[in-house]
Amino acid sequence: MRTTARLLTGTAVSVAAIGVFTAPLAHAGDFATLEVYPSSASPGTTVTVNTTACGKHGRGVGDANSLGAGEFQLNPSTHKEVVVGQFTVPQHTKPGTYGISVACDNGKTARGDLTVKHRPPSGHVPTGVGGSIGPDTAQVTAGAAVLAAAAVGGAWLLRRRASGAQGH
Amino acid sequence: MSGRSKGWGIAVAVCVGLWLVQNGSEDVTPPVPSAAQAFAAGPAVHTDAAADPLPPSEPVRLRIPETGVDAPVTGLGLAANGALDVPPAADRNLAGWYEDGTTPGAKGTAIVAGHVDNAEGPAVFYTLGALKKGHRIEVDRRDGRTAVFTVDAVEVYANEDFPDEKVYGEADRAEIRVITCGGGFSEKAGGYQGNVVAFGHLIGVR
Repeated sequence: MRTTARLLTGTAVSVAAIGVFTAPLAHAGDFATLEVYPSSASPGTTVTVNTTACGKHGRGVGDANSLGAGEFQLNPSTHKEVVVGQFTVPQHTKPGTYGISVACDNGKTARGDLTVKHRPPSGHVPTGVGGSIGPDTAQVTAGAAVLAAAAVGGAWLLRRRASGAQGH
Repeated sequence: MSGRSKGWGIAVAVCVGLWLVQNGSEDVTPPVPSAAQAFAAGPAVHTDAAADPLPPSEPVRLRIPETGVDAPVTGLGLAANGALDVPPAADRNLAGWYEDGTTPGAKGTAIVAGHVDNAEGPAVFYTLGALKKGHRIEVDRRDGRTAVFTVDAVEVYANEDFPDEKVYGEADRAEIRVITCGGGFSEKAGGYQGNVVAFGHLIGVR
């Protein structure tokens, strides 16, 4: 029991400590959450963002300049209290994570991240034409040299044998 | 006795010479990975934990010490049909990487490709099919670090049966693929019949 109590106290202290350190950060920007769907997209994909930050019947302007998609409008959606906007990921956007922000008419700001991933290649890669394929000229040359040496040796042997026969 | 043994010596030399000429006249093709290098043949040499992925940074040079590969790396995009572009064929010692994808050493699947040969003869990845499990692939990056990968497998796929997901699919650790042509050559059927693909994962950083 005692250990549990101590553990709990310890946890409470840690949580409090984290609270102390993170609270100012959370307050600094006062950003609301911007939902980005899909959160990972390839060039050409239409991305939809929404937030509750702009309030009922609110409007806002989205900023997707970080990935070269410019600004876009956010309008009230069929869901109450949510504004929705869309933009398209440009073809030239490099892979990476980009911050998207929305400035609401009511002065509030929302932020979210979009990860841009390009579609992977497909199919085989044409990486050869066959120019390396052919006879092994070095080996053929070596073989020819061995044959030539054998011919010379054979001729020499025959001549010696012939002269030996004469001698006897 | 000496005359007879010399005669035998010459006969052997003639046989060796004939064999060399005959065998050498047959076409030499790029090395083909053996079945033992495939995933199906069993686990790779380095089955221990992979190294932590690096932040993204472009590759500048690729080396495979065991087969003597040492080449600069250029960026590649996609062709109109969605296939990976290839480096210019005129440069026989140049590799390419898919620059809209994962950078080698970062989390994901980095894709590298290069020619097995060009019209003049062997090119940068001629020896890729001779790679074995446990061999190293080293990539120098623009951030000054070198990503060291170990080869997990070397496989061959027919062109019309290329496993996109297996080769290009995402990975939750830092992986690499090195691709070149192979799998038999047929002038009639339009050249190389497939691709050799070396699979690797990050095991160290220098």
